[in-house]
Order: sequence, then C-alpha cells, then structure tokens
Amino acid sequence: MYRYDEFDAQIVKERVDQFRSQVERRLSGDILEDEFKPLRLQNGVYLQLHAYMLRVAIPYGQLNAARMRKLAKVARDYDRGYGHMTTRQNIQYNWVALKDIPDVLEELAEVEMHAIQTSGNCIRNVTSDHFAGATKDEIMDPRPWCEIIRQWSTFHPEFAFLPRKFKIAVTAAEHDRAAIRVHDIGLHMRERDGVVGFEVHVGGGQGRTPIIAAMVNEFVPESEILDYLEAIMRVYNRFGRRDNKYKARIKILVTETGPEEFTRLVEEEYAAQQTSEKIALPEAEIDRINAYFAPPAFEDKTETSAAFERAKTADPAFANWAKVNLHPHKVAGYTSVTISLKPIAGLAGDATDSQMMVMAHLAERYGFDDIRVTHAQNVVLPHIALDDLYEVYRELAAAGLATANESLITDMIVCPGLDYCNLANARSIPVGQEIQKVFADPAYEQDIGKLHINISGCINACGHHHVGHIGILGVDRKGEEYYQVSLGGRADEKATVGQIIGKALRYEEVPSAVKTIVDTYRDLRTSQDEKFIDTVERLGVEPFQEAIYATD
Amino acid sequence: MTSVRPKLKPDTPKTITAWETASGKVVWLRADQTWTSDPGEIGVFTGDAAEAALEGAKTQEGEITDPYFMEVTEDGKVAGRETLRETIRANGPTVPYGVII
Repeated sequence: MYRYDEFDAQIVKERVDQFRSQVERRLSGDILEDEFKPLRLQNGVYLQLHAYMLRVAIPYGQLNAARMRKLAKVARDYDRGYGHMTTRQNIQYNWVALKDIPDVLEELAEVEMHAIQTSGNCIRNVTSDHFAGATKDEIMDPRPWCEIIRQWSTFHPEFAFLPRKFKIAVTAAEHDRAAIRVHDIGLHMRERDGVVGFEVHVGGGQGRTPIIAAMVNEFVPESEILDYLEAIMRVYNRFGRRDNKYKARIKILVTETGPEEFTRLVEEEYAAQQTSEKIALPEAEIDRINAYFAPPAFEDKTETSAAFERAKTADPAFANWAKVNLHPHKVAGYTSVTISLKPIAGLAGDATDSQMMVMAHLAERYGFDDIRVTHAQNVVLPHIALDDLYEVYRELAAAGLATANESLITDMIVCPGLDYCNLANARSIPVGQEIQKVFADPAYEQDIGKLHINISGCINACGHHHVGHIGILGVDRKGEEYYQVSLGGRADEKATVGQIIGKALRYEEVPSAVKTIVDTYRDLRTSQDEKFIDTVERLGVEPFQEAIYATD
Repeated sequence: MTSVRPKLKPDTPKTITAWETASGKVVWLRADQTWTSDPGEIGVFTGDAAEAALEGAKTQEGEITDPYFMEVTEDGKVAGRETLRETIRANGPTVPYGVII
C-alpha cells in the first residue's frame, strides 16, 4: 500500500485549500461555469444529470480498511448512503453538493486519498490486476511499478494538458485481467534473462473508435521504462490531434501514423533524450516503494483446510459461492475472494455505506487490511485464509454481499447510463437488471459458464461494450431507447472488438435476445468446457444472428 | 454545454432549466422568473419572452449553472425529443438506489 511522505501530504492539503477558494469564488459568482469547469474537472468534479458527481481516485484499486471506512463516511455524510465502483477501479459519488466538496476532499486527505487526475486531459488513475500480489499466475507483483508510474505521472507538468485523457494499465500475470490492450498504454511485465521489463502496447481504446493496442516494444527493461513512457507521451503531446476531440486520443495517432512509424518516432524521441533528462530512479527509492507492497505475514498452512471442507459440506449455499467467487492464491491455505457487487436486479457496482463498513471490517479482521476494487466493478479481499472463509462468507451474506456470480453472465460491467449520466442516450442499469432476472437461476447461470456482458448507455463506451463477450450499446432513436448488440469482444490477452450482429433492439426485446444468444451457444458448444467466447470465435456471429433475426 | 440541447422553434412552449450551483439540484424557472426545484411549478415561455428569460438566467450564473431551454407542454409538463432524459432529470433515476438488494 502506498504511503504519503511529508511532501505528498502538504501538496494535497494545498490542493484542497486551493479548490476551497475556487468553490467559494464560484458560489459568490466571481467566476462563472466556463471558467470554473476546468478547475472542478481537475479535482474530479463533474456536473451530471441530477447533481454533481465526485470521482475519487483509488490507486490501482487498492484500499485498506481506514480508507474504505472513510469512503463509507463520505457516502453517509455527504451523499445518499452509497458509492459506485468504476471501471478505472475508482469510486464515484452521485449526489454530493459542490459547497461540500472541499470538506469531502479534506476528509479524504486525512487517509491519503484525493480526486486529482480523475478527470481532464491528463494521465488518469493507473489500473492493474485486482489480484496483484496474490495470484498464482503472476511473475511478480505489478503494484510497485503502478505506484512508481503514479508518482511519475502525478502533477507531471509536461503532461497536464494532453490532447485528451490518457489511461495506463499494468499487469504481471499471463492472463490479462487489467484489459491492457484497450488502454492508451498497456504494460505487461515480463522477465528476460533475469531482467524485469515491460512489453509495451500503445494506442488501444474504446469509445466511438474501438482499437486494440499495437505492441510497440517487446521488452523495455524496468530501468528504462519511465524514460520510454516519457518518449511515448512526448510523441503524443507533439503529434496528437487537438483540432477534433474525437480524434485526439493516442489510438488515432497510432492508427493514422501506423504502428511502425509511431514506434520509430518513439524510438527517435527516446534516443534523443539527454543524459540529464533520464530518470535515474535511485535503488533506495525503488526499495522504499517495494517495501510498501511487501507480502503480508502469511502463516504456514496446508493447501487444504478441514474447516473449509466441513463448512462446504454443511452449507450448500457457501459451497456454491466458494465454487464461483474464489481465485487461487500463491500461498498455500489462502485464497482471493471476489465480493460481487452485482446482486440480481441490484445496482451494478454500487455499495452502500454499511456494506463498505462490512468490507472494511472483514479486510481488517481476516484479510491483512487489503481491499481491491476491480475494473469489473466488484471488490476483492485478496488474502483470506481458507480456515476463515466461512466466517467471511457469513458476514458478507448478512450484508447482501455474497452473490455467487463472479465472471458469470449476471456479473456485468454496466455504466451509469441515462439514469445518471449527462452524456448517455439510453439507460444501462435497468437493462442489466432485466437481463439478470432471466439468468437468476444459479444452475442455469453456472451451466452457461464464464460470460461477460458489458453494457454502455452511449458510444463513449464507459461500460466497455466493445469488449464484452456480449456487448450492449444504448442508442437514441428519436427519443426512444434502442440497444445494439455485439458479440465476440474480449478484453483479455486475446483482446478483440465485438461485432455488431444486426439492427438495434427495443428496450423490452433485449433480455429475450440475450437468452436466445445464450441458448444458441448451449446448443452449439462442443462440450461444457467450450466457453461462450470460444464458440463465437469458432463459428462466428452468423448462427447467433440467424437465431435472433431469422424471423424478421 | 453538458447535455443534449435540441433547437426549439420560437412558438414551441419551453421553460428554462439549470442546476443550482451550490447543491447541483435541478431547477426550473417559474412564471415569475424565480427558480424552483419542484417540477410542478415550471413556468412556460414562448417567443421573445422565452429568449429574454434565458438571457436573464444567464446573468444569474452565480446562483445557477448552465441554463438552457427545455421543451414543455402548454401546462408545463416535460415534452418533446428529450422527454425521457428530462423526465429522469426531474424525477431521479428510474431504479432504486442506496439500498441493499
């Protein structure tokens, strides 16, 4: 877990004071909205459909109990008793009053949190694998480098006014859970001949122009990565388009320039860096940051737990949850728990203040004070002993937090849509709820297996619909909500943009269309081991198109 | 400008809507040109009077933020192309929130 030093604490405090003064001037009418907007955006404050929205940064999704309790307190004291977890592993509050936001930021600063660079054309929160530091399939813990990149990119004067927003993700696991190929820069940590480095992907993104990132360098050693990132950013800052907001992301630059030429420009920029410009991180500094992420004091345990096995036998609901919501841990006798924030017909990604308090308590009591927010809008307790799992489950269940659906069809990414967002064309949340109801039977859902549905309420794609196995995009047709369905998208190491399968459907047609798609898959799969996405890849979208549109 | 702003003809009944700056609450202009957060009190304007009301609203940008025309019926109900958006904006999300399911 990161820690502030005295300079960090001071700079965040000064930033809060500065914003307080800006808000006072806005409320007195000394500055108007056009002048205030860039100031509020630099502090994570949006004006949404009904109210202001405050987005708080959660660096690479990691929290501890104290920070989670503070988030709960903000929800309770300044909002309407809940918060919404985002696909950048952050949290958003939907109802906070502008006059209160300086106080909120002051409270957040008490626990080393802020809302800086959660909006605007700057480098946003660095995201990562939510199982980082716990999962068996990583070559190392990527969080120290996430933190180094965070520190490098925070208040970096050269990159405060980029052509457009900029998102970086880092993973160190073979299976990409951080969607790095749909990021402006995706970094995949590798080890080569004993040297740690990064495979560098650039120019991925979603929005109205979905593009899978190009690999611009197979291996940049860790000692050179900040300089290399700086070279990429400089090429973007210099050549990225500023004349058209929709063509301003680095993905357009990489595509229009061509990945080879773009790579050449980066290499040229990198080679031109003067020795005095190079960021030579002192070893002591790297050691200091590594120490923040030292593994917790795990006990020596066996692979299996008698208490865990007994509880599974005694409580079938627990056994079912444990079958779905656990992820293998690198240390024997431990597991990573996904707390689903996707109850059937619930609010995808939302947690109430009381639920946040429960999660904080469980992390503190059983989980080495470690909590993660996932890009799929769930929460993870990364280090839970199997021996303690049943206690954890019972407390989660009592708080409405034990839905057994991690990575199943009801575990959807859903943007706030027209229920909250000023940009949306259609609602996302209720469509997701209606789909969930179709698949609410756990046996049916588990028979379907791993399947990601992602829903966006507009082409900005905050719900990642392009990379959903089933993607659903809300569109406006003369004031009515319609939904375009795409198939075959994925955000992992085989990242692909989904293919639209036909004309948009009316709101009420969507759940049955999804059921038709799913039942078509169940008919066509070679065995239960063939996942939905594999069937779509094997057969293409035609059989699904036929199933939905044949009777038209 | 942060949301969809359809162009409305001069004789189309309309009101002025905005957000209260301090709280972010949605507000509409009453017939007497004061602000209300009650959609039942929406004032209806047309023609030059509507233009004058919008211009007047723009001079109050300390109290309110980003005023714009919103189409309404003659009796002040949400109407037109943006009915769904403006209805949600007036009444809140269509899904219950802040509750444990």
